[in-house]
Amino acid sequence: MLFAQVLAVLIFVVMFLMIIMDKIERHYITLGCGFLTLLLVFGLGLHSMTAVIKTLNVQNIFTLDFWYQAGEASESSSGINWATIIFIAGMMVMVEGMARVGFFRWLCMRIAKLVNYKTVPIFITFMIMSFVLAMFIDSITVILFLAAVTVELAQLLDFNPVPMILAEIFCANLGGSATMCGDPPNIIIGTSLGYSFADFVMNTGVIAAVSLVVIVVFFYFAFRREFAGNKDKKIDISKLPTPESAIKDKVGFGISTVIFLCAVAMLVTHAMTGLTVAFIGLSIALVTLVTSGKYALEVLKKVDYKTLLFFIGLFVVVGGLEQTGILEVVAGFIGDVSGGNAMLMIAIIIWVSAIASAFIDNIPFSATMIPVIDTLAKTQGIDLSVLAWALSMGTDIGGSATPIGASANVVGTSVAAKAGHPIGWGEYCKKAVPATAIVLVISTVFIFVRYL
Amino acid sequence: MGKQLIISLSREYGSGGHFIAAQLAKRFELPIYDHNLLDEVAREKGFNVQKLNKYDELPKKKFLSRSVRGFSNSPEENIAMMQFDFLRDKAKSGESFVVVGRCSESVLQDYEGLISIFIIGDREAKIKRVENVRGFSRKAAEEAIARHDKTRRDYHNHYCDIKWGDARHYELCMNSSKLGLERTIDFIETYIKERTEK
Repeated sequence: MLFAQVLAVLIFVVMFLMIIMDKIERHYITLGCGFLTLLLVFGLGLHSMTAVIKTLNVQNIFTLDFWYQAGEASESSSGINWATIIFIAGMMVMVEGMARVGFFRWLCMRIAKLVNYKTVPIFITFMIMSFVLAMFIDSITVILFLAAVTVELAQLLDFNPVPMILAEIFCANLGGSATMCGDPPNIIIGTSLGYSFADFVMNTGVIAAVSLVVIVVFFYFAFRREFAGNKDKKIDISKLPTPESAIKDKVGFGISTVIFLCAVAMLVTHAMTGLTVAFIGLSIALVTLVTSGKYALEVLKKVDYKTLLFFIGLFVVVGGLEQTGILEVVAGFIGDVSGGNAMLMIAIIIWVSAIASAFIDNIPFSATMIPVIDTLAKTQGIDLSVLAWALSMGTDIGGSATPIGASANVVGTSVAAKAGHPIGWGEYCKKAVPATAIVLVISTVFIFVRYL
Repeated sequence: MGKQLIISLSREYGSGGHFIAAQLAKRFELPIYDHNLLDEVAREKGFNVQKLNKYDELPKKKFLSRSVRGFSNSPEENIAMMQFDFLRDKAKSGESFVVVGRCSESVLQDYEGLISIFIIGDREAKIKRVENVRGFSRKAAEEAIARHDKTRRDYHNHYCDIKWGDARHYELCMNSSKLGLERTIDFIETYIKERTEK
């Protein structure tokens, strides 16, 4: 067992280091390390075909529970979390369908027009829009479109887009923490531990909503001087692109909007209807592809299959740690350090997750931590859901602190740089670190007061 | 000029490579892209060049950078890509020009009109040149040479498959200390004329 444990840790550490070094595409890294886990940890170390089958977890897809859960949502088995992968793939197809018809650009332009193209109202409404969209759509897509429109509006209305992009990125990450489908760690936490969309909204959603109010005020005061000069500028609205000009396919636009609203409705009610996120992901993908007609292949080609492969490899590597009992050792260590004190344990989970997520990818981190908190709940007698909300807020929000902490940050700063506004670490962290600390303090206090 | 001529000149710090490139540009009556490349990019796209300058010709900071779906947070990398695209566009338009560094021998390797040159120099000669041109002390000159060459190597090797200064990947490699700058320029000029008349 010790040999298998050493191999599992070694593969995991190498995987993490290689992801950080960013030399090889990350899906190759996780798939390669996943293969090594199957071969060395399960084959050579454990001599266990059962561990391989359990980790590949394919049999799970062919059970009714995977698609429909009549009763209370139950904890899924360990190994590859196919529900997460199918759901994310489905959402990617839907989002590509929406992007093809110009939905996101239309929405941004519509809101800018609604506030008469005034800089400060655009700043505030775009933060809120970023939060709301990221509750349902992956934050990369949200920022990709929002930052692009922000850059375009900044050129037309002559303001500095950097403060707005930084605020949008932060709010996208915050919005992602509010729901089960917003940020990948939440999807993994939800599907692994059996929590529903409503569970997230009633817990992390409330924390995120309270934080949003504080953060909008914070960013307004932090950046108000940047926009002070734009107040009295006269804008010739006739020269600005109309929201309608963003729509590339009117029929497709209508269909995409309906599919999106249906997806939201299905997600909000999935605990009541019993439809699992895997079912929702698959069905919205199929409907999007069928209604895309001749564009179906184009939509399918744009799906980020590399991220899906990254997830598959990652789950296998984490499965190696799980099957060899390493994560139980980590859980035992956290339990010892906190001396069984629930407050200390939660604080450790939130703040360590946040600090780690500020520098490393929060997806592998959260995937690794899920079995850890599961063990902690069983051994230390703390409600698992409280630990889950702590992990969710820590990983989702911690990533906001630095330019590399979350995918949205990378995409947002890249869009800004390509538009002639490079954002260095200093400029980014100056406002993002205090904002992150504020939300983490709110989260910690909220969890202490509400659950302990 | 009928045929396209792109002179890509890479250089060790203190070798006089930049001076050689500027003289070649004069002799062949070609525009030169060096530090001004960013000015050109900024002018074309309507950017404020002062925001970009501090990231010019620098390698990306390995542990402070991350890529997601082809996007990178690194200002250095984004600005390098902008410059590479600018060079590609210029080359594609059929323009002839001289370009100093910026991975141009790799970025423009598919163009028939490309002549890639790497200029090195003897250590003592480089130190003397940096002392004279920059007014540095010997120690400062040595440090500047080590620092700039490391930066250029890191920058180049991050974006290119070939190694900076590897003679196998340049058409012409010359030690400017052997003939002196003027005669080195004469030699390269003759070579380019021979090569383009071929």
